[in-house]
Order: sequence, then structure tokens, then C-alpha cells
Amino acid sequence: MARLSISNLTKTYNNGVKALNNISIEIESGMFGLLGPNGAGKSSLMRTIATLQVPDEGSINLNGIDVLNEPESLRRVLGYLPQEFGVYPKISAEELLNHIAVLKGISKAKERKELVGYLLQKVNLYDKRKKAVKSFSGGMKQRIGIAQALIGDPKLIIVDEPTAGLDPGERNRFHNLLADVAESVIVILSTHIVDDVKELCSDMAIMNEGEIMYKGSPQNVLSELDGLVWEKTVERNTIDAYQKNHKVISNKMNSGKSVIHVLHHEQPEEGFVQVKPDLEDVFFAKTSASIIAD
Amino acid sequence: MFKEFYSREIKSGLQQPMIYVFSILLGLLAFGAVSNDQIVIGGSIGNIQRNSPHIIMKMGLVFSLLGLFISTAFFNNAALRDFNNNFDDILFTTPIRKKDYFMGRFLGAFSLAILPFLGIYLGFILATFIAPAMGWVDPEKMGPVSIAGFMANYFLTIIPNIFISGVVIFSVASIFRSTAISFSGTMVLFLGYSIALSFSSDLENEMLAAMVDPFGLSAYNLDSKYFTPQEKNTLIPGFNSFITYNRLVWLIISFALLKVLYGFFSFEKRSGKVKKEKANKKDNTIFTKPIIYGHFSQFTDIAQCYSFTRIHLKSILSSNTFKILILFSFVQLIAILMEGYEYMGLKSYPVTYMVVEDIQNSTMIFLLIIMVYYAGDLLWEDRDNHLNEVIDASPHSSYVSLFAKYFAINVSILIIYASLSVLGILYQLGSGFTSIDLGTYFLAYALNIMPMIATWSAVLMLVHILINHKFIGFGVSIVLMFVLELILDGLDISSRMLDIASAPRITFSDISDYGPSVISSIWFNAYWIVFGIIVLLISGLLSNRGTSQSLLKRIKIIPQKMDPNFMGGIGTLFIVWLSIASFIFYNTQILNPYKTDDETELLQVQYEQKYKQYEGMLSPKIVDVDYNVNIYPAERNIYTVSQLKLVNENKESIDTLMYTYNDEWEIKFEIQNAVEVLHDKELNVKQFVLQKPLKHRDSLEIVIHANYITKGFKNSQENTMILENGTFFNNLVFLPYFGYNPSFELSDRFKRKEHNLPKRKRMPTLNEPCGAECEQNYLSNGQSDWITFETTISTSSDQMAIAPGSLIKQWTKNNRNFYHYRVDHKSQNFVSFNSGKFEVAKRQWKDVSMEVYYDQKHGVNIDKMLDAIENSLEYYTENFGPYYLKQARIIEFPRYANFAQAFPGTMPYSESFGFIVDLEDEEKNNVVDAVIAHEMAHQWWAHQEVGANVQGGTMLTESFAEYSSLMVMKKASDNDDVKMRNFLKYDYDRYLKGRSYELEKELPLREVENQMYLHYGKGSVIMYALQDFIGEDSVNAALRDFLTEYKYKAPPYPTSNDFLRHLQPRVPDSLQYLIVDWFEDITLYDYRIKEANLNEIDAENYEVSLQVEAKKFKSDSIGNEINIPVKDWVEIGFYKDNDEKELFYTEKIFLEKESQTIQIKLNEKPAKAMIDPKRLYVERVINDNSKKL
Repeated sequence: MARLSISNLTKTYNNGVKALNNISIEIESGMFGLLGPNGAGKSSLMRTIATLQVPDEGSINLNGIDVLNEPESLRRVLGYLPQEFGVYPKISAEELLNHIAVLKGISKAKERKELVGYLLQKVNLYDKRKKAVKSFSGGMKQRIGIAQALIGDPKLIIVDEPTAGLDPGERNRFHNLLADVAESVIVILSTHIVDDVKELCSDMAIMNEGEIMYKGSPQNVLSELDGLVWEKTVERNTIDAYQKNHKVISNKMNSGKSVIHVLHHEQPEEGFVQVKPDLEDVFFAKTSASIIAD
Repeated sequence: MFKEFYSREIKSGLQQPMIYVFSILLGLLAFGAVSNDQIVIGGSIGNIQRNSPHIIMKMGLVFSLLGLFISTAFFNNAALRDFNNNFDDILFTTPIRKKDYFMGRFLGAFSLAILPFLGIYLGFILATFIAPAMGWVDPEKMGPVSIAGFMANYFLTIIPNIFISGVVIFSVASIFRSTAISFSGTMVLFLGYSIALSFSSDLENEMLAAMVDPFGLSAYNLDSKYFTPQEKNTLIPGFNSFITYNRLVWLIISFALLKVLYGFFSFEKRSGKVKKEKANKKDNTIFTKPIIYGHFSQFTDIAQCYSFTRIHLKSILSSNTFKILILFSFVQLIAILMEGYEYMGLKSYPVTYMVVEDIQNSTMIFLLIIMVYYAGDLLWEDRDNHLNEVIDASPHSSYVSLFAKYFAINVSILIIYASLSVLGILYQLGSGFTSIDLGTYFLAYALNIMPMIATWSAVLMLVHILINHKFIGFGVSIVLMFVLELILDGLDISSRMLDIASAPRITFSDISDYGPSVISSIWFNAYWIVFGIIVLLISGLLSNRGTSQSLLKRIKIIPQKMDPNFMGGIGTLFIVWLSIASFIFYNTQILNPYKTDDETELLQVQYEQKYKQYEGMLSPKIVDVDYNVNIYPAERNIYTVSQLKLVNENKESIDTLMYTYNDEWEIKFEIQNAVEVLHDKELNVKQFVLQKPLKHRDSLEIVIHANYITKGFKNSQENTMILENGTFFNNLVFLPYFGYNPSFELSDRFKRKEHNLPKRKRMPTLNEPCGAECEQNYLSNGQSDWITFETTISTSSDQMAIAPGSLIKQWTKNNRNFYHYRVDHKSQNFVSFNSGKFEVAKRQWKDVSMEVYYDQKHGVNIDKMLDAIENSLEYYTENFGPYYLKQARIIEFPRYANFAQAFPGTMPYSESFGFIVDLEDEEKNNVVDAVIAHEMAHQWWAHQEVGANVQGGTMLTESFAEYSSLMVMKKASDNDDVKMRNFLKYDYDRYLKGRSYELEKELPLREVENQMYLHYGKGSVIMYALQDFIGEDSVNAALRDFLTEYKYKAPPYPTSNDFLRHLQPRVPDSLQYLIVDWFEDITLYDYRIKEANLNEIDAENYEVSLQVEAKKFKSDSIGNEINIPVKDWVEIGFYKDNDEKELFYTEKIFLEKESQTIQIKLNEKPAKAMIDPKRLYVERVINDNSKKL
């Protein structure tokens, strides 16, 4: 059973932005979703765990490895797919994976060949292994990204915003890949897409403005909002009024009209229907400043 | 719309710092170059003012070359900004017109790019006023501010150059939408410049070069080639100049190019090349998940480093930039190989070291560009490609990836060098040259190229890591490489140990292989390579991993990174480096201390201040010497004992002797009954008092021990005279100089002024009649007159040793070869000593043994050399008088120096001066004949008579030798005027170019102050013309009479006036003006045929009418010319062909007017008329002398 414990992690950037504000969190094997809006500090946290950024304070420990002081040991058991995953020009998929396999300590050419072949098949790119990765579509590139993160039997896999820009089919394939490996290792999936977490994760945290707003299972967080979410379809031009008077947590368009969700312990006014909360409601509820303040 | 794009471009450009940074930078550079004597751009030396129009032109041209990078910045930015910001989709879907967009942007960028160059002129103006006021530059060296010069420069060089480069860069960038490809456009222009430069080194290709150069530098060089200092200070290029034509040509080319490229430009997205999908073989292998764990050991580092190197190398080798650079270096090398090793239009055989040096010289700039480019590019590759996070988070050490980058750069350079070598070898084989020396190819890389690239690539990577900003990093890298030496110069530091990657360059020679510097080269290279590796390790400590951090933060966390392994590694390396450093320090500073430039200058000043008072002190003269010279080639040691017999020729007694000696040699004096009273160890002066004064006619014996001992190696170039094979040195390097030696004085007049030294005369004035100054000749400076000497010389058993004179005895003792030579006639005390492994070719001519001592690889021209000796002996004995020696020897010495020199009967001759020249083509000029005939002529002109040590002295030796050599050539060519004209062309060039670079003043020939362009160039030209006017026999008779009067005669020595005294009676009254015009004044001419008409009367009768213009000038010493009336005999000639090969008719006519019409009747049909067809008059422009008929 792998365990990643993070305690009191703090990072303030030069411009005064607190990217990480005293974060403490425990993560165990399985798929862990880190949900938060853009700029919440997710990537800072991911990068810090991946030894790419040094925090001002705090500690990180993976199965006894003191990550901040022994970055090299962590890197040996890490698979990392950053938010931005580019490739060298003119280097083929096979060459790239082969290179990263060498970096991950797989020194025997034969073993590498087998592993790279296996991963390429797994991500369904074996036929295109001789082609320059640069020429791949976004989804194919992302699959190469996950393939490289899987090299070397990592104990900790971090994937940062992996599904942004993928079409539904690509996204599905991607989820399956992750689910496959997540049985015995920790997979941290950072995303702002609620459905990613909903579909994949048994454990999750919601992050905003450098702080963990919630940690727990998706089910638990949903039950927190049980009976508190009300929905109404309204005219677009009346939204301002609703927002003034109610805790509007979301506002979506449906057939040209706005569907708003409001948080309230009883029916706020005529026309609101109680709905079963979903993760998106939780996300908005936990990250929207006006609601947290209340 | 156009206005919108144009003004937007300018506005945004003016808001960016770039334009101001460049302006200030160029202004500072110009200011520095004008106001500082250390920085010389454009050749402001001697009488040329530091701010003269010529310097403005040159500097403008050089800066516009550097400005390529400025225009790249502006034009590339203007063309690609929208694409790089992904704004193109938005912009190009708006209804803008292609023309407005393209031209608006282009002209906007153009207007911006030409602005910073105005900074140059501001720099000039400021320097003009500030520098003299601050005492940085002598006010004499500053002329008035030349606004017209600025204008000419701006409109003739800067604006066209920016336009031309702008067209290429902007169009290419807009069409291909890639910085790398627009960078290649820049390189194409640079290549044009660089090829033009290599063309222009040869007279035949100058015009071509002037037109090919897209920047106009070669064109202006041709324009200003014969400018006198005065013209350099005042002349501004006019319309009728090569630079104007060049500009016109290139502007037309760039307009055409702009039109064509504009046609290609389109708003639509460039569809990427659709590569045909390679059908992958259906591969049905099914992989199962292997159970593999990462395994980490020392071996992992190596595997990782190898993998990184492969990936980097692949990205270098497949990048367009690299492909283009390698292509350019190929083009450049081919251009140079084809043009190849010119001597007066002759090619030498493509021996390996020549090809290797071509590779080094022609492609070094590309190698450096590749190194600088990829040192930055590889460091930024991960980040630029957004792969840095994956790579940085993978378990490899930072050193591994740094070293991989370092290896990738070095391997890519090796790949280029190797492919260029293959090209070189193919060229050698293609020219039928098969003795290819692979070792030389390899060593040139291993000692001259690899260490430099290895050291600098490491240093530049550190620069990038420290700066952590890609483009500023590049800027700092380039500045560092250029400025480092300037800074060291400014600080008067000459130790190579502080000059990054500095090591003595290896010069290859067939005689002495890799030369004497190979040991120090190896040590210095090792020193720098280890330094580079240490720099890499330090770079590793500072390198950025993960999120970018400030340098300060990176320094703070260094202690965390210093694990024991690292400390052990860097510690060991540091110890190795220190050991090498101390060994080098011991060799270059303690064993072989040296003086810096400033120190040497100061010693010169002190010597003059302290000992000038002794100038002209009485001293005895050497009358006989017995040299005993022992050469140890393997050790490069020489032990000499010279027994000198001196006689006091003065009426007064001598009681004090003073010597100035050369401290490279260990000197010991043995003087009978003398006491040493002074030994100035710093200035190398000794004084002795004779216990018994030396009376008139008394003689004195002195024994001088002088030993050259090679100890370790030196910081500077090793002594290239004393070698393991091919040693050549003369007696003057080790014999102490009697009394005060004025040749040690500081000669630069501005430096003298700085040190408060009085003005110095280069030479005593030519007086009529000559006084006491004629008591000494200019070769021995009163140390001796005609003396007897003999030499016992020994060397190792595998070598042969030669000194002047007949070989009296030869024996072997202690496994060494001994020779005893004695000169058969009194001679100058000027003795050569040679030792080497020689082949010998001999031929007898009457009682003279003609001998050539040469390296076994150089047998090809030996017969021709013997012919040349024979031709010379024949002509000279017939026309000038007997040869008094029993041998005439040519001895080859290595190519560290490129000259031949005449000692009595013995002429050392450089390996590079004809031994490997291809003389197969009978049509061509034969440089070997010319040089040998010249040196042979010195056996008469220098070794039978020699000029007094006054102005005009060298005319009596060097000009006569050149003349004699021309006569031998003329005879050998059967009086072929056309061939002789082609030969004389080089002498004209030498004279006219030489006066352009005169530092002090040009003098008439009879007052020549040892100025080579005068005594060789002008001397040969006018002596040749003279014999054409008054007849070869008359000139020779004058020479013979003169020689007869002064042959081996005791002082007083003759002056140029004594020769003119013999010449005058030989010149008809009608031509006496020639003596004044040519020997006593500086006279130049300008002839042209304005119009030529041919009237065919019948097949055998033709009438030609020519309108001829003629001008004649007298010039002063710095090139101020005044017109004088024309009253000269000039030849008109007619060619049968347009190529000026067959001159079938000449006629001398008398010109009295600046413009006149001439009628000439001919029996054959002429193709071309020419005024002065044999080129007898000194004219700067000769292509207007002929007209097709």
C-alpha cells in the first residue's frame, strides 16, 4: 500500500501570490482527483510533488522517501505527465519513449524494446511508432505522454490536466489507461473537469486559491449537499437579480434559457425544484468565493 | 491601410528597447574605435586620421555586416510577429490588402532598422571632440567632422545593405514563417561576402569580387586600394566607383527579389509538406507487459548520457540551420579550393597541409556559428519544446544532460570537419595528388579545432546557465568571444592561461612536420579542455531544473547539490587542472619569462634614454671571423663560439667597448685585457674598458660564446628558426651589436610623442656630397666592411649542415657530422647556418657549383631552380661582371617564414615560396625564376656593392636585384612584352598599394628609406621602363660602370646619387626628364583613349585615329597631387585580338597636350588600341587605356 503524505506545504511566488497555503493531505493507492479552477494552485502542487519546484516550507513523503531532500529517489518511482507536454522535433515516438526509458534506468536495450513496444500497443500507437511525435494530433500526443509516464513501473503517477483538448473518444481511452494502472499505485489526476473525477476517482480533493477546500470521497461530498441544491430555468436577463438574492452556484444554458442552481436549505422561491447534487455543484460550491464567505 | 501598418510598425518599434540598445551599442563601438588607439577598425594608422571619410566608410561597412543581426531582429520580428502570437488567423481573415500588409510591415521594419546606425555618426562626432581633449588621441590624428562622409556612408553602405538584407530576411520569413529559415537567408548574404573576400585576395578576381559582395566591402576595398593617405583623409566615393556600381547591381537584384518573393507571399496558411505516408509494415507482434524495474548504477549514467547525446545530435543534424551551415561551409571550401593558393596567378600543388589550412581558415566562422548557436539552443531545447518538465522530473543527474549537450556540439563539429576533410581529400585526388596525409587532417582537428570548440562550448553553456535568458545569453556569448582579447590587450595581459581556449596554433610543414609548438599546444589544450570540464561541472551546480529560479536562489542551494561523489570528481579534476596549470606556469613564466607589449615598449624607451648618448661612439670594425657553430637538432640547442678579429680604423684610440646583445641567447665575452665596467641586465648592455687603449690600426681579438638553449616551452610562439629539422638562422641573431643600436628605438611617432621622445628620422638624409654618413653601409651599420670568414659547423649524424663558402673539410666525430666552410672572397659579414635532412641536386656552370638542398618531398621544381640559377649567372656575368664565388646554393627551410634571402653564395629559400608551386603551365609567370633571379642578383647587388646607410641605400641593392631579375625573365620569355606586362602588374600593385599604407611619408626612389613598396615595387617598375626607353644595354652599362667603381671597395660607400651619376651620360638629352620624374620626384600619370576610329583603306592599309587624353601629376609625401604639363613620349600599341595577347605594333609619340588626336597607319587590321601597352608609366587606373576598334 503506497502512501503519499504532504504536510504544511507553503509556496509564495515573488509577485506575492500564495500558490500553496499550508497544504496538508494524505493520499493512498488508487486514483486521486485534484479538482480546482484554473489558477487554484493545482499545478504548483503537482510540480512540487514532482520535484520540479521547491516549496518555502513543508514536507512531502512517499513511502518513506523524503521527497524534498531526496528528489532523485522520488524521480526513480515517478511517472509524470505535465500540463504542457511537448516533444523534440523530428524524433519518433519509439525514439522518444526509448530515450525516456533509458532515463528511467532501463539500461538493457532488449528490455527497453519490449517495454516500449508494449506501451505503444497499449496506447494504440504501435503502428505510428516510426513517425515524428511532433506531427501527432493532440490526443495522440497525450497518449504518448501517458505512455512515457508509465515507463519504469512508477509508484506515483501524476497527470496534470490530461484531458484538456481531447475529444470524447480520446478522453475515454485515456481514462481506461489510467484506470488500468491505478490498482496498486497512487495516481494523482489534476483537473478542472468535474466529469474526469466523477468517472475515475475514489478519493478526491478540491483546491482553490492555494488551499484544500475539501478532501474525501466524491460520495461523501455529494451527501454534504444532499437536499440543498435547487434548480430553476429562468430568462437570461433576470440572472442578475437571482444572483443578488440567492447563492447561485451555477448558471448553465439550456435551449437558450438559463438553468441556475441555488444553494439553500429550503425551496428559495416559487419555481425552484430540488435536484440531486452532482460533483459540479460541489465544485462550484466549494470554489466560488461568495458562497465560501457565507 | 498601408499607412496604418507602416506607422503601427514604427510606433511599436519605437516603444521597444531594442532600437535604443542597438543605437547606443553602435554609437559606443564607433566612439571607442575612433577615440581609442587599441581598437582599430578600418585601418586608421600612420597619416590616416581616425575620423576620416575612409575610416567612416570602412567602419560603416564593417558595422553593416554586424548589423545583419540587427536587421534580422527587426525584419524577422515584423514578418513573424502575427504568426508567433497566433494572431494570423484573426488578422488575415480581415479585409486587408496583401500589398498594404506586406509593404507596410516591410518598410516599417526597414525604417526602424536603419535608425540605430545613426548612432555611428554620433559616436564619430563625439569622439572627434572628446578624444583629443581628453588626451586619448593625438589631435593630429583627428580631422574635421565629415558630414559629407557620413552622408555617403549612410546612403552607399548602411541603407542599401539594410535594404538588401531586409528583402531577403523579410521575404523569406514571411513566406516560410520560420525564424530558422530566415536566419539562413542572412547566412546566404554572409556567404556572398565571405566568398567575395576570398576572391579579392587575387589580382585577377578583384573586379568579380567587387560585384559579388552583397555588402559592398570588397567593392570599396577595390576603390580605395590605391588611395594615398591624403585621399583617405579627404576623398568620398563618387558616382564612378565600384561601390556605386555594386550598390546599383545589388539594389536591382533586391528589387527583383522583392517582387518575386512578394508574389509568393500569401495570407493562406502554408500547407505543410504532405509527406507520403510510409506504409508501415504491418507488425503483428503482440507485446505483453514485461516486468522490468529501473536499475540504477554508474552504468546508468553512461547509458543516459549516450541516449541524450544521440537525441541532441539527431536534433542538431536534422535541423535546417545545421544543414544550411554545413552546406555553406562546403560552398566556401569549394570556392577557396578552386581559387587555390595563388602566387602571381600560379597555383601550388594541393598538399595536405594547404588543404587543411583552407578548411580551417574558410570554415572556422561556420564552426563557431554552429557552436555558439547550439550551445544556447540545446540548453533551451527542452524548454522550447515543452519537454523540460518530463525530462527534469526523470531520474538522471543534471551533469549527465549537460555533458550530453557538450558531446553533441563537439560531435557535430567533428562531423562537419570530417565531411570537409573528405571533400578536401576528394579535391586532392581529383587534382591527381595522391600523397594524402591523413595524420595532418587528424592533428589539425585534434590540436587546432577540437580543444577550442570543447573549451568554448563549455564556457558558453555556463554563460547561458548564468544568464538564463536565451537571446541575452547569445548576445553575451558573442560579446565575450570578441571582447575578451580586447580586454586582455587593454590590461596588457599576454599569458595564454587567461585567454580562453588559447593555444599556439600548429603550422604544418613538410620539413619540420608539426613544428616546435606541438608540445606547448598539447599542454595548453589539455589545460583548457580540463578547464572546460570543470566549467561544465560548475554549470551543473548552477543549472536550472524544474521551475526557473533566479541565479541567487540557484547559488543558495548549491551546498545541497555538493554530494561526496561530485566533490570527489571536481576535486580530482581541479587537482589535475592545477597540476597542468603549474607545469605551464613553470614553463611559460619561470623557465621562459617573456615581456608584454607595454613592457617591451618601455624598455625601448629606456634604452634610448639611457644609451642614445653613445650613438656614434668609436668602435673597432670586424675584419675576420672564425665561426664555430654546433647544432643539436633533437634538443633544439645551439652552441656557438665566434672568434672575431677587430681593427681600429679610426684615427683616435679606443678605450671603451659597448655591446647590446640579444638575451634569447646566453652570451659570454672573452676580450683580451678588458674589464667589464657595466652590465645592464634589463636592457642587455655591456661595457668594457680596455686596459691598453686600441690605437689606430691596432687589432683586437674577441671570443663570443653564444648559446641558444631550449628550455621547456614558451607562452608565445616557439622560435621557428631553430628546429628539429630545417634549422636556419644567421650570425646577426647572436653576435652582439657594437655600441648603441638605433634600430631598437620606438618608431611609431605617436608613441614617441606619448613617451616624450624627440622626433625620429628613419634614416640619415641623402646629402650631396656624402659626408661621414657614407662611412658605413646599411647592412652592417659600421660593424664591419668587407671581411673574411670561415665556419666550422656541426650537427647530428642524420642531418647535413651548411654555411656560406666552399666546403674545405668534412668529418664525423662523436657520431656528429662536421663541416668546415670558407668563403672564397671577401664578403659582407652576413652568414647563414642551416641544418636539416636534405636531398642535394648539383649542376656545374663553368667553375661554379650550382646546388639545391631540398626536402625529399619537394623534388618537383628542382630542375627549374637549377635552370634559374644558370640563367641568372649567365645574364649577370655577361652584363654586370664576374661572379667571385665558387658556388651558388639554394637551401630550403620550413614555411614558418615566407621569403628567400641571399648570403654570400648561399640562398636559404622558404618551402612555401616555390617548392610546391605547379609550374607545369609554361604560359604563366614563373615565380621560382623570379625569386631565384632576384636572390642571385643580390650576389652582385649587396654582396659586391652595397649602399651607404643613408636614404636611397636599398635602391642600390633591392631595386637593382628586382630589375636584374626582370631582365632574366624578359630574356627567358624572348622579350615578350605582354608576358612581362602581366608580370609587372604585381609590381605596380605592390607600389600603389604600398603607398596607400605608408605610415610616415612616401619618398622619391632615390631617397627610399628601406620602404619595400618603393625599392621593390616602384624600383622594378621604373627601372624596367627605363630600359625600354634608353635600351637594356645602356641601363646595364650604367650598372656595370657603377659596380666597377664600388666593387668590394672600402668606405665611403656609394649612394643613389653615385648611380645616377653613371646613369646620366647613358640617357639621351631628350629623355633626361625621366631621371627627374622617376628617381628624384614622385610622378604619376593618367592616360586614356577617349575615342578610337578605324578606317580600312584596303586589306593591307588601315588608318586609326585616336583621341588621347593625358595627365601628369607630381605627388608630395602624403599624396597631395599637383597637375603638371604633359611633355612625354608615350607608346601607342595595337593588338590583333581583344584579349590583349598579340601586340603587333607599337609607336612612341610625343604628347604635349592634355588632349590630342593621333593618326597612325597600319598594315594589319587591329582589334584593339592601347596607350602605354607595355605599362611603363605609373597609372592608378589602366582599364581606360584601351579601346576596341
